[in-house]
Amino acid sequence: MKHSNLRNGWVGGIVNIFLILLGLTGLAGTLLQGWLGLPSPAFGVWVSLLGVVVWSAARATKASGTQSWREALAGGALSGLLSGGIVGLLVGLLATLDAGSVEIRQWLVQLTPEAIALLTFGVAPWLATLLVAGVHALAGLLGSALYFAAITYQWQASVKGVLQDAGHSISQTQVYQRIAGHPSATTFAYAAGAILLLTAPLYLGRYWNYTLGTVGLYVILGLGLNIVVGMAGQLVLGYGAFFAIGAYTVALLTAPTPHGIMMNFWLVVPIGVILAALSGVVLGLPVLRMRGDYLAIVTLGFGEIIRILLKSDALIEFTGGPRGVRAVGGPSLFGIKMNNEFYFTYFIIIGIILAAYITAQLQKSRVGRAWMAIRGDEDVAEAMGIMTLKYKLLAFAIAAGLAGLSGVLFASRNKFTGPEDFTLLVSINVLSLVIIGGMGSIPGVIMGALILKGLPEILRELSDYRMLAFGALLVLMMILRPEGMWPSTRQKMELHGDEEKAETSEHTEPARGVA
Amino acid sequence: MVETTEKRPQRRYVDIGRWVRLGMGIIVAGFALWRMWNVFFVQQEYGLDTWTRFLISGIILGSVYAVIALGYTLVYGILFMINFAHGDVMMLGAFAGYFTLEAFKGRGFLNQNAGTAALSVIAAFMVGMALSMVVALLLERIAYRPLRKAPRLVPLISAIGASLVLQNAAQLMFGAERHTYANPDIIDRSTGISFLVQGQEVLITYTGMLTLGLSLLLMVGLLLLVRKTKMGKAMRAVAQDKETAALMGINVDRIIANTFAISGILAGAAGVMWGLHMGILYHYVGFIPGLKAFTAAVLGGIGNVVGAMVGGLTLGILEAAGPAILGLPFQLKDVLAFSILVLVLIFRPTGLVGQVLADKA
Amino acid sequence: MTHILQAQSVTKQFGGLLAVNAVTLNVPTESIFSIIGPNGAGKTTFFNCVTGFYKPERGTLLFDDKPLIGRRPDQITGLGVARTYQNIRLFNEMTAIENILVGQHHRLHAGVLGALFQLPRTQREERQALEEAYTLLEFVGLSGKGDVFAKNLPYGDQRRLEIARALACKPKLLLLDEPTAGMNPAETDDMMTFIRQLRDELQITILLIEHDMRLVMGVSEHIVVLDYGMKIAEGTPAEIQSNTRVIEAYLGRGSVFAND
Repeated sequence: MKHSNLRNGWVGGIVNIFLILLGLTGLAGTLLQGWLGLPSPAFGVWVSLLGVVVWSAARATKASGTQSWREALAGGALSGLLSGGIVGLLVGLLATLDAGSVEIRQWLVQLTPEAIALLTFGVAPWLATLLVAGVHALAGLLGSALYFAAITYQWQASVKGVLQDAGHSISQTQVYQRIAGHPSATTFAYAAGAILLLTAPLYLGRYWNYTLGTVGLYVILGLGLNIVVGMAGQLVLGYGAFFAIGAYTVALLTAPTPHGIMMNFWLVVPIGVILAALSGVVLGLPVLRMRGDYLAIVTLGFGEIIRILLKSDALIEFTGGPRGVRAVGGPSLFGIKMNNEFYFTYFIIIGIILAAYITAQLQKSRVGRAWMAIRGDEDVAEAMGIMTLKYKLLAFAIAAGLAGLSGVLFASRNKFTGPEDFTLLVSINVLSLVIIGGMGSIPGVIMGALILKGLPEILRELSDYRMLAFGALLVLMMILRPEGMWPSTRQKMELHGDEEKAETSEHTEPARGVA
Repeated sequence: MVETTEKRPQRRYVDIGRWVRLGMGIIVAGFALWRMWNVFFVQQEYGLDTWTRFLISGIILGSVYAVIALGYTLVYGILFMINFAHGDVMMLGAFAGYFTLEAFKGRGFLNQNAGTAALSVIAAFMVGMALSMVVALLLERIAYRPLRKAPRLVPLISAIGASLVLQNAAQLMFGAERHTYANPDIIDRSTGISFLVQGQEVLITYTGMLTLGLSLLLMVGLLLLVRKTKMGKAMRAVAQDKETAALMGINVDRIIANTFAISGILAGAAGVMWGLHMGILYHYVGFIPGLKAFTAAVLGGIGNVVGAMVGGLTLGILEAAGPAILGLPFQLKDVLAFSILVLVLIFRPTGLVGQVLADKA
Repeated sequence: MTHILQAQSVTKQFGGLLAVNAVTLNVPTESIFSIIGPNGAGKTTFFNCVTGFYKPERGTLLFDDKPLIGRRPDQITGLGVARTYQNIRLFNEMTAIENILVGQHHRLHAGVLGALFQLPRTQREERQALEEAYTLLEFVGLSGKGDVFAKNLPYGDQRRLEIARALACKPKLLLLDEPTAGMNPAETDDMMTFIRQLRDELQITILLIEHDMRLVMGVSEHIVVLDYGMKIAEGTPAEIQSNTRVIEAYLGRGSVFAND
């Protein structure tokens, strides 16, 4: 019983130390300060720190399974005190160093004097330690009390009941029933969505067109990678290389330097796509007989090779070297120049629709089934008459082609491309959004792109923490929900009576697991 | 039922991939031979002294790769997973050593005399190895252990996530700028023993000697551990068959944790060596060496301890001397390393030394 | 009598171990032919040689007078050989119907373009394939379970689905690897009837690996016994039951015939 309290206590303390070192407390501080209009970020800092303690004390109380108020509260206070002791010691140490005019942020960049002041209450180090420990203990007390009260008075059930009642009464209202019950409701919803989407670029400003365009480019990339990773089950880490091939194709063929070919954009689009797809085949032929993790590493190596080559001076005459290619050409139609964010948003939307159409059509076809079979069990797929190499190559080529399309649009929209556009981060980003959104699922990929690329644009303060969050999400998703947030569903194919469907529907849960 | 029995000409089995591999092999080999011909017979740009320098720096670099590669190979040998975050564990170890040295430097202890300098360096290694060990253990406990029964790609994705977390946490905590490792003055990165080759001075730095010596020590130590001790025997048993090992009374969880601890210790030592010898430290410093060390592990045959050492040294020498041998700009040394990775996996996934499990991979 | 499968001194080696040692056997067309033998006798290895998973070091394998060695597994399936696995290997993340549709793969033609443009030919093909899949589902007694994920089916149904998937390849030769493993006697009897029904109704040849002697003796027309990779006996069930070498091979590992 004591054990769970101690354990949660020190885990909470360590979590808090990392919150402080990573600057996450400071982030919470500034965010809450901005949203609530507070005079100081201190509120957010302490809310985040003590929130952890409340949570860990509640967990400790749950794990201890105690039945008495006294034990629960004592345990909560104990775990809070332990967390507080650990954090307090750190705070005391920081305060001492800070008072001795040691510049801590020289090594730990988040610990600016202001950040330290927020933690020390501006008092002497020893007092600060005691205060921090005390506050933590109080938070622990609160956490255990809350949890204990919740299970004693069954708050969870009543909250659930209230929510259910509310949902029920909404669905019972006449308006709701009339709308949802109407046969053309779905059509109408889709039409409204489509109109909203198609007119969006008109009233969004340049900035939002650009930002949403970037998200859209990642949706195209994600849908492409989804074919290889989500449908065919082959993990590819160097996907950014194909994006780069598309971008450099358009750049080198339409820009005045280094080659001055200045081809028409519309001619270059298919060239870029085909070139990317071809390079997918050429890379795929030797490597696709490898499985799983080796394939991931080889493609990672390939991606890095492409990037370093682009960056090096060795190819400077051919690719423009580290400075990249400027003045990449854009499209024009009937004499209208279409090279601004506004037009590109439409091109990107068209690209997304194309990619989604390809994915959806292939998924339910013989080709898609072959991919799923390969993902499930490659040996058996082969024994069932599937030429696995051909289908893996096909997936690779289509994915590479879509990445090429995305790359062409990307370079042309930015009117520039350079080697730094294609770091490993691009590949990792795309992989993350496919996995987090839901492998094999189109809405999952779109949602993944919106969250992973769009959210950090809306909350600029978060952008420093984006990659940290991606990493943590990847780990968490694998442990808790490997099928992704929005997993792919299967259409029902059995055409028989409804009673059979009802009978079997409880079995048909969404697919789980990878590969 | 569908009548689709069609009469296609029955072709014999043609492995296209094999022809592509053959073609690639010829192109690569031809290119290499042509460049080498140029370098050795046409240009003759480098003298024997330069080649000696390449060899020395390659061996030192390779010995660090070998130590990191051992960590990959140990974990792969026992869990059949690529510990993608291993390079970042090394980076954190390097940071721990860096802070230790900074602390001693701040107190003036570092350069008091040879004794205090030695003590500081030993302390830096201790702290670096300890921290890396803790990180590796946490990594195993949090990110890998819950996934041990999952399909193979699941732990790999988790490892990629963990690598991102470690890298970005380091960046957020320690800043994105490059830190310079605070070597004690007596093992400054530019001093060492020099000798003459064809009348030219060739320098072996003290840090280089330290790195090489310590690497050899660690490798021998690990070999003894795996081959001679009870724990080594248990590790090999777990690598062979986890279930049977468990039935024989081996605590599989503990052995796996031990393996991660050892790989962490090796990574920590490698990190401090890297810092002392290379001098530059930032959050991304673990990733590329990690990838190259993985290449080394694959080159030697992953899962194979001796192979990792051979692979590390080979890769180090190839990386240091390769651009010169092929007459390529030194900017492209990473391309060379990754090309070796790709080529080895394509042509000889079992590695140079090894016997292993490529099919299961 | 014509032979659909002719194996001539097929040998497969793993390192020093001769897993299949100069096995010669001829499987008559439309027969039920069993391969039996103790564990590790090389039965499954022989299956893997026939299906192209392993490449034998020596010997020839003729199916319908066409050589099998040197062809890829998918090509061999295309010729009309299909199999099931000892430890069921369904595509767990696919529904029952999708599993059967995968089995039809080599008989369908839709490629990327057909799927993308929804050509009439492709649509017709898909429709027919789906219909056929239902027929098969019904044939193995799984109607109504088409939309269930394979992993959620009960064990016996998984066995049946695996056979349905193999039948979807329209094989002339069906290789069943221990189809009654893990079944109780009643289920085994069902399976015996089912295997006969397969041969009688679909006119296919069945090559069977089995440990359950009751099934083997009850259903097979011809039996080959392997031990340590070598063929030690061959004949009708009655001949095999009285063969001293077979009894020797099985004795010491516990007599299998004792409960006969």
